[in-house]
Amino acid sequence: MRRVATITVLGAREEVQRLWRELAAERGADPPVSFMTAPGDRGTEIRVEVPDAPSNAVGQAVTKLSGSDPLAKAKDELRRFKQLFETGVIARSDGTPEGHAVERQLKQRPAQPLEQPEREKAGV
Amino acid sequence: MRANVWSGRNGVQVENVPDPTLLNDRDAIVKISSTAICGSDLHLYDGYVPTMKRGDILGHEFMGEVVETGRGVDNLAVGDRVVVPFPIACGNCWSCKHELYSVCENSNPNAGIAEKMFGHPTAGIFGYSHITGGYAGGQAEYARVPYADVGPFKIEDDLTDEQVLFLSDIFPTGYMGAEFCQITGGETIAVFGAGPVGQFAIASAVMLGAERVIAIDEYDYRLQMATARAGATDAINFSENADVVEQLKELTGGRGPDAVIDAVGMEAVSGHGVVHAVDRVKQAARIESDRGAALRDAIMACRPGGIVSVIGVYGGLMDKFPTGAFMNKGLTLRSGQCHVQRYIKPLYERIRKGDIDPSFVVTHRLELGHAPDGYETFKHKQDNCVKVVLKP
Repeated sequence: MRRVATITVLGAREEVQRLWRELAAERGADPPVSFMTAPGDRGTEIRVEVPDAPSNAVGQAVTKLSGSDPLAKAKDELRRFKQLFETGVIARSDGTPEGHAVERQLKQRPAQPLEQPEREKAGV
Repeated sequence: MRANVWSGRNGVQVENVPDPTLLNDRDAIVKISSTAICGSDLHLYDGYVPTMKRGDILGHEFMGEVVETGRGVDNLAVGDRVVVPFPIACGNCWSCKHELYSVCENSNPNAGIAEKMFGHPTAGIFGYSHITGGYAGGQAEYARVPYADVGPFKIEDDLTDEQVLFLSDIFPTGYMGAEFCQITGGETIAVFGAGPVGQFAIASAVMLGAERVIAIDEYDYRLQMATARAGATDAINFSENADVVEQLKELTGGRGPDAVIDAVGMEAVSGHGVVHAVDRVKQAARIESDRGAALRDAIMACRPGGIVSVIGVYGGLMDKFPTGAFMNKGLTLRSGQCHVQRYIKPLYERIRKGDIDPSFVVTHRLELGHAPDGYETFKHKQDNCVKVVLKP
């Protein structure tokens, strides 16, 4: 089954593609991606295709829980890209200091400030 | 610093926790001068909102002094006195550009959790579970405020904290509830719930030109505040007569109110003992997450073609939503977490002009260390409690 992650970013297609290329160069290997101008004033739709999920239930559960599901990873990347493009920063909270990450959603920190070593670990 | 943290169902405690630091260029740190307990904090306290974690700092109504700013914050300076809106909003996404700040597309770093619950992510909120981002709240000595170039609103005159603190949430929330009612003059508006948000919904409906405003609650002291202070023209105490729908018809010549505001939400109490018991059991058994007594009555009572405005907080699913009445009477349902950033300036001007003094809702003032007592007093409506302000 073909799987797709998609998000809409408020910006002209050329600008969105330019930042995507810059960041993709840093990331290295990138899944197939397409860009389309959204209707009205909505910006640009980004669509990423990801490999099929494991066909058996055990494999699906393992990839989901370990955070290695490519679809979840692609969604993380898209959300972080949208944040960077639109706001210039990655949204970080006390519960999720690294920014949107599927692994972190399953294992939240308490919502209270981080000590220095934790901040360093989170890349802040 | 000291902060009030969630320690499990029906438990909060004041603990020492690390001081907040800037995590982004667009952050600021605010030293909190006043903070409040919100009715929606009781939903967390009572354990009805999932994704809470022990140690979460609570509180989303706060104000104070800017003590540090990130490089990207050019509109605030150290020393500025600010009120902080409870929704965390980036100001850049399509939703923010259209003043839909409480559904900001970027501020929730747990967007995936929110998407599973609601179909789409909603904005981050201070101290309000991990569905809304896992942000530390403002019932503390200090708070980190993200997108500080967008949210915090500067107070540049000598109004007291208690006069402006509620710009952070409950005054704009009540106002938005009234604005949803499309009041042009002469309407009758019914408001379910005479808690702090209900009081401001009533006061706002009056400011916007409603001719009659009917307050509904089960506590006489709250109804007295509604009529004596907020401007309600009538009051219904459903603990004396459970049939609110019938009483609203009696008060309106059978027409029903032109619009009804639900300022109650997921922990509604019904005067009908059996209905309430069934909802309580279902909620306890996790068969429904939201008790719907107020919203059901709001829909049944509203006149045909009228508006039902929902500003009470719901979290998941309720049973027995009266779809037949909603559809056949042609009602309009409007709702949302308040887009505080949209309302804060105009409402601040209203306070400055003397149209309203929001401090009338304050009944209890406590030092932050007594926050656990404040929660108990507020939850059990002891000592005629309407609003608790905490001073760090």
